This record gives sequence, C-alpha cells and structure tokens, in this order.
Amino acid sequence: MSVRAMPVATHLIEVRLRPEFADAEGAAALQLLQAQGLNSIKEARVSRLYRIQGPITANQVQQAAKDLLCDPVTQEHRVVAPVPAPLNGMNFWRVEVWLKPTVTDPVGETVRDAIADMGLPRPDQARCAFVYRLAGRANKPALEKAVARCLANPLIHDAVVSEAHP
Amino acid sequence: MSAPAAAPAAFGILDKSPKELRALGDARHLSLNDAEWAAVQAHFKGLKREPTLAEVETIAQTWSEHCKHKTFTSPIRLTEGKKTRVIKNLFEETIVAATAAVKKSWCLSVFEDNAGVVAFGKKWALAFKAETHNHPSALEPYGGAETGVGGVVRDVLGCGLGAKPVLNTDVFCFGRPDYAGPLPEGAHHPSRTLRGVVAGVRDYGNRMGIPTAGGGIWFDDDYRLNPLVFVGTVGIMPQWAVAKDVKSGDLIVAVGGRTGRDGLHGATFSSANLGADAPSSAVQIGHAINEKRVLDALLRARDKKLYRSVTDCGAGGFSSAVGELGASCGARVRLEAAPLKAADLSGWEIWLSESQERMVLAVPPKNLKALEAVFAAEGCELAVIGEFTNTGRLEVTHRDESVVGLDMKFLHKGLPRVERAATWSAPASSKASGGAEKKAPLVLREMVAHLNVCSREWVIRQYDHEVQGGTVIKPLQGVRHDGPGDACVIWPHAATGDMKDYAGFSVAHGLNPDYGRLDPYWMALACVDEALRNLTCVGADPARAALLDNFCWASPEDPRQLGALVRAAEGCRDAGKGYGAPFISGKDSLYNQSKDEKGRELPIPGTLLISALAPVPDARKAVSMDFKGPGDALYLIGRTNDELGGSLYHRLLGRAGGEVPKANPPCALDGFKSLHAAINRGLVLAAHDLSEGGLAVAAAEMGFSGEFGARLDLDELARDPRIYSNETLLFSESPSRILIEVKPEHESAFLRHFGKGAKAACVRRVGQTTANPILKVVGLDGSTVLEESLKELKEAWQKTLPAVLR
Repeated sequence: MSVRAMPVATHLIEVRLRPEFADAEGAAALQLLQAQGLNSIKEARVSRLYRIQGPITANQVQQAAKDLLCDPVTQEHRVVAPVPAPLNGMNFWRVEVWLKPTVTDPVGETVRDAIADMGLPRPDQARCAFVYRLAGRANKPALEKAVARCLANPLIHDAVVSEAHP
Repeated sequence: MSAPAAAPAAFGILDKSPKELRALGDARHLSLNDAEWAAVQAHFKGLKREPTLAEVETIAQTWSEHCKHKTFTSPIRLTEGKKTRVIKNLFEETIVAATAAVKKSWCLSVFEDNAGVVAFGKKWALAFKAETHNHPSALEPYGGAETGVGGVVRDVLGCGLGAKPVLNTDVFCFGRPDYAGPLPEGAHHPSRTLRGVVAGVRDYGNRMGIPTAGGGIWFDDDYRLNPLVFVGTVGIMPQWAVAKDVKSGDLIVAVGGRTGRDGLHGATFSSANLGADAPSSAVQIGHAINEKRVLDALLRARDKKLYRSVTDCGAGGFSSAVGELGASCGARVRLEAAPLKAADLSGWEIWLSESQERMVLAVPPKNLKALEAVFAAEGCELAVIGEFTNTGRLEVTHRDESVVGLDMKFLHKGLPRVERAATWSAPASSKASGGAEKKAPLVLREMVAHLNVCSREWVIRQYDHEVQGGTVIKPLQGVRHDGPGDACVIWPHAATGDMKDYAGFSVAHGLNPDYGRLDPYWMALACVDEALRNLTCVGADPARAALLDNFCWASPEDPRQLGALVRAAEGCRDAGKGYGAPFISGKDSLYNQSKDEKGRELPIPGTLLISALAPVPDARKAVSMDFKGPGDALYLIGRTNDELGGSLYHRLLGRAGGEVPKANPPCALDGFKSLHAAINRGLVLAAHDLSEGGLAVAAAEMGFSGEFGARLDLDELARDPRIYSNETLLFSESPSRILIEVKPEHESAFLRHFGKGAKAACVRRVGQTTANPILKVVGLDGSTVLEESLKELKEAWQKTLPAVLR
C-alpha cells in the first residue's frame, strides 16, 4: 500500500482593521515611536500576521482566516506573499514582530487547535506576529533602533523592518 | 521488568580546582559558590564517580537562593557598633518565631506548602501567597509579569490539594516613567517596563478570569534597572483539602503544558546579580488559557479525590516539583514519557525546563483512568512520568540512560551553610536638614500630583476586578468610582455556592522603602501597621490578620545590605508579635542590583512588602473611603508625632534625615480593634488611612472622592505637645492613624467603642464634612493654613500618570 504524503505548505495571513475604523493600537504605537524621536512618522496601523504551516490547502487557510481569524464587521484579511513586495519609495514602512522560534507562542498554539476544531487538518505549526504599517519619512537604522526600544524586545522577538506599499 | 539504565554521561568535576569549578558554574549559570562546589565534589568523590550534567543542574536548582533561601537560613555574624552576635537562622529566629509566639489556631498551614493557609469560617480555608518575578520582568516586562502571575496562581492551585483562585494582587516598584537620565545598553526604560508589566498582569489575570483588585505602585529611580514585581493570589478551598500526602507506589503524573526549552535556569538566575549576560532562556511567555484548563480540571479531580498530593512546576521544573513531592520517600522518573514541545530536548533539559502551566500530581494507580477522563474533558494533557518509591532516592532516566541518581537526603539536606558577615550602624543624626520651606497649599498640590500618591486609574482600569462577581469594595471608590481605596473586599462564595454566607475577606499591603533608608527595623513595623490599618478601614478584622513577608534586597554578600536585611527581619518579628498577626508564608528575592551606565553597582533600596489578609465578618457592612455627606463628624484615631523622616514632605522639600515614623503595636491594635467593632455596628460612614502625605492628603482624597468638603482644626489633633508647626501636623506620617466619618447621631455610640482613659485619648473629633467641596484647615493659632478646591486637587491627582506615560 502506498501512502501519499500531503505537501507541507506555509501560508501567511494578515488580518487588519478596516481603514474606516480608528486604530487605537496603532495610535499607541505611533506615540511610542514618536517618543523615540521618530516624529516624521505620521501614522501607524497595527495588524496580525499568522504563519500557518502544515498539510492544509490554500482554500482551507482562506476558510480559517474568514471564519476564525477575522471579524468581518471590523476587519479584513488577505493572503500575504512570503516574498517581500517590491519597494515603491513612498515612505511607507512595514515592521513585523515575531516571537523567536524558541519562545512559546500561545496565540499560535490556540490558532492551531482552533483550526483543528473547525474540522480542518491540524497545522504542524501556527505562529502569530504583530505587523506595524507606518507612514512617514524615516531611515531604516533609526527605525530599527526605535522598534527595538519600544515595539519589540530583541531578547524574545525577531523584528523585520522593510519598506513597503501603503 | 525494565532493563537497567545505561551508565550516565559524566560531567567531570572531581579533578577540577575551585577556580575551574567557578568558571564552569559561570558558563552554565549554575550560581553555586565555592563551598557548595566543594560539597558536591566531596559527595561524588564518596560515590567514586563523576556526576551527570543533570545531577549538577538538579543540585544547583535545588540549592539555589530561589528554592532554599540560603541567606535567610544560614548563620549570620552581625556587628552593631562594638557588639557582635551570631544569628543561626534568620528565618527561624524572626518570621517563624513571631508566628510561633502568637499561636493562632486558625492558621491551618504555615511555611510548609506553596502558600499559607488560614481558616475562613468553619468549612472553608483561604490560601494566600505573594511572589516576586523581578529578574525576568527586568529582561522582558510583559512575559516576566504574566509568568509571575501564572506562577503564583499555580502556587495556590498547588497548595494543599488545590484552592480556587478568587483574587489576584499586584504591587510594583519602578523607576519614574519620565526618567530622563542615561541607561546602560540593553536596559529597558522604566516607562516601557511599567507598560509591559501592567499588560502582562492584565492579560494573564483577565484571561484566567481572576479579579485583580488590590495592589500599589512605588516610584523611585533606584529601581530603574531592577524593577520589583510582586504578584499575589488568594484561593479558597474546603478545609479537608488542606492536608496532602505522598505514598510510595503513587504515580507521578504531569499535567498541563508541554515541556520545551523555554525557561531554563530560572532558579539559579535568581541567585545572581542581574547583568548583560543574563540567559534569554530564563524568560518565558505565559499561556493563560492552558493554565485555566489545568485549574478547571484539577479542581474537579480534587473534589472527586482522585489524587493524593499536588505541586506546581515552578523554578527548577520537574526537578523541584518531583524532588519536593518525593523528598520523604523517593521517586523514579522516565523523562521520555513527558509530552514535549520539541522532540530534540535532551534529558537534562526536560528535567530542568521551566515551561509554564505544568503541575505534578501523586496519583494512586487505581484512580488514573478517572483522572484521565477529567483532564480529557477539559482538553488538558496528562502523562504518567514515573512513580514514587520508598528508596529515598531520586532516580531519573531518559531513553534507558540514567540522567540523575541522587540521594534525597544529600539533595535536600546537603547544602553547606556558610556564615555571612553583616553590619548595622544606626543613622548618626535624626535631625532633619536641608531643603527650603514651602507653603502648605503648594505642598499639598505637589503631594497629590506626586507619582507615589497620584491616581492609579490608568493601571487599575486595565484589570478586570469584577470577574467572579464578588468584588464588594473595589479598588476605585467614591461617587464617580475613581477614588483611591485602602483595600478591596472580596465575597468568595460565588465560587463555593454558599450564597447565604456573607463573610468576605480583604487583602491590603504595606510598603515604604523611604523609611528603610533611615531604619529598616521601623520600616518593617510601619509596613505591617499600614497593611493592618488598610484592612481595618474597609471593615476587616485586624485581630484575625495573617501576614506575608516579601523581602527584596540587593546582594547579601555586602555586609551592610545584609545588616539592613537582618534589621528589617527583626522588625517583622516584633511587628508580628506586637500586632498578634502571624506570618503564614513569604518569599525573598535577593541580588536586586545591576551595573549602571558607568559600570557602578546600582542596588535597589531595601524593600519589604507586607501583604495582609483578614476576614470581613459581614461583607455587607464593609466601608469605603469617600465622604458620604455634609455635616458629619470627622474623627482621627492615633497620635501625631514629629515623624517626617522618610516622608513625602521631606522628599518634596529635598530634606534629609528626621525621625522615621515609629509604630507602637499594642496601642495601634487597640485603636484598630475598636474601629473594627464600630464598623461592624454600622457606626462608620467612611474610613481612610493616613500614609504618604499624612492628614492633608488623606482628607483631600476622601473629599474629592465623595465630592464633599471638610473643615479640620489642627489644634484638636491628639499630638506630641512639642509640635508647634502646622506643616508637621498636616504632613507627618506617624503610623496607626485613620480618619473617620461618623454621622452626628452616632458619635456617642462610636466613642463608646474606644472606652476611657489612654485608649480614648487617641481618638479626637478633628473637624466635619461640608457641602462645599473645599478642604479648609485651621492651624494651631486659629488662622487658615489651607483652603483648597478639591476639584482642582483631584484634577492634579488624576493627570500625573497619564501625562508621564504619553
């Protein structure tokens, strides 16, 4: 008897507040960044990024995103390409703050169990990150330094700062 | 029959010199000193073999300051001036001695279990524990604080056969959030620490459905590198569940979270000064939902009597938990049976991991199936990892390889006691000096806006203090629910189902490191006094108070620091005896010092937190602190002395020295008991304790919380006749004083509770409430020394914390 192995895929789902809603988390992050001297950052919005790995298809991940991870009244979700988007030079920044792989991710663990509870294949792993989408002029080293001081703790977090689309 | 375990992988120490052993210990964060290394070496020389890495790690964890409290239990040679004396065991001679002296039959378990336990009515018992999580919170404020809460909740859950948590408390010491000075590389700014710690306490408590309703914050820049995070939990359990027992043949069952690489070396980490080389693995992120599952399953299993004993996996992980439970009999553990987060963990990592939300049970084999069903129903993992034996040995294997084979006696009794030197010299002069006088109105405005007095609403509102529906007296009080309460009152019977039992309990705290800078002995008495008068203010019975001591100190290797610690512990002893209040549990956290930006050691001020728990006979009669109406009489209990040393007044004026407040326990207790009786008879409308800022701040807080004014006459105060200064009377921090509002028609009945003579001499009518929200104070010469709008004072009081956290 032959056993057909399911491919192990990695899916990235971003869940964000719809633009018409005020983002209190974003406002708090903006205040913290400005307190670090980054006054040229004018807006911050915060979203959650889920990395789901395992024998689960893109359609099943879409279903989990729609029915489990996203509140359709206030939020929207999208699949994020694992490869970074090309830069557009418009002073928009994207900061992803992940827990280091050795650190327990309780949200990720709960998401993994909840996906299985929906009757979908249980992912091998789910991890959750905070994403800060920033608008305003900044240089990358200064932004990285500020992020390490107020939005991420290098002891337990990996922070990825990149220029991005708005 | 299982095959014999393979020879252990050796960890060579027998041929090493003390210097090499020290280097080995430093590299692995073992925190063993030379004498301890020598004892380990001698033990294994006697066995004619090298230890395994896991054995050395197990010994280091078990002998750590965190687990064995070496400083408090080792001999100390104390030099005071020209006198020298030896204290054989500081813990036994102070904290335990006080509890033994007061002999309270309602103490059901003290200093034995994970928490102290007192009777609560005839059927129930309250378990109470406060822990610190300072070092982890300095490195990662959010994770450190939330795992601190998780740990103390598990302490209560692992006390006796398990208590249901009904209250969480939190007390913090931070650097000022607006600190603008330099910080060493890698240190978090105090503002970030505060935000992270509050978020951690909030998220863990709220997600577990436990009200966080009591606590406080102290700001001082000497905490900027070493924040203190005290977290406490009260749980309720039936009295039959207080005792526990382990029998050989019982299965060792691990429940809750899986074991991972996270949290290694947490216990040994607490035995070292905090530095840049702190191991990142000592920090963890908690999983409150997992702990809630463990809580629900465990209490169901307790009520079905499915296990004989339980303890939590705290510092040291399985090594501490199994070691503690099997200390009197022995244990055999197979680590491959433990559920893991990652398959590549080595034996010693599984054994010592401090992954959160795990507990260990001793289960009679016949109950295993039923226990599995209970835990499965809650979606909570369970694994049998071994059994308790009668060999007196700790035997641990991993995949047929011996990992640990230690004699329990050596592990638990083999720690060498090293005598330490301590010195204490009393401050040279008690006379205050320096600083410039300020007008009383200006001082009062600065006081209410001061960080150590201002509103904590920004913090308190983040906590769910109402969950479980039993918070009778809430942390924020008054007509707009924003005034500063003295203590919370909890009615826990929603959890027990005894809906007609109206008894509640209250928890309060006392902490003032500024007094300790002058004299730690009097700080200790003042802390106990503050905790008891806070309890009394809300209607709790001060004669039934049980205490927890939490000492946070710098390195005890410094004789002056150790001398101050001894002095504080002796203050605790005398306070416990004087107030008739037993200590039921406690903890110490030492080595709270770090190198500052210039490489100099920055120790924290010696800090003692006293947490007190007392029953409120009828929670319906509990009293809040806000004025209730105009025209009511204001009484002040307690005598005002010229005791401004360490006071907020001196801090604002930049003044040093002065007389530190000195409590007189028998006299204070008389006043507290009388007030308690009056509250129980419904004769008191409001009561508020006088602490930082003295009478002026207490009256202002009562006024702006109730939106009624007050007129006070300083000449009416029971006072030291040598005081001629209005400012001293207004701002002195003499302990044991409470301001009380009484309806005019109840005045004579109220006074009858205070008897006649000396007892009555300390209760004086000092003024009355007014409809106009103005605080007016008449001085000794009859002139008005203060006339301030309470609305403006409240605005100043409320805006400080949000402003500095912007």
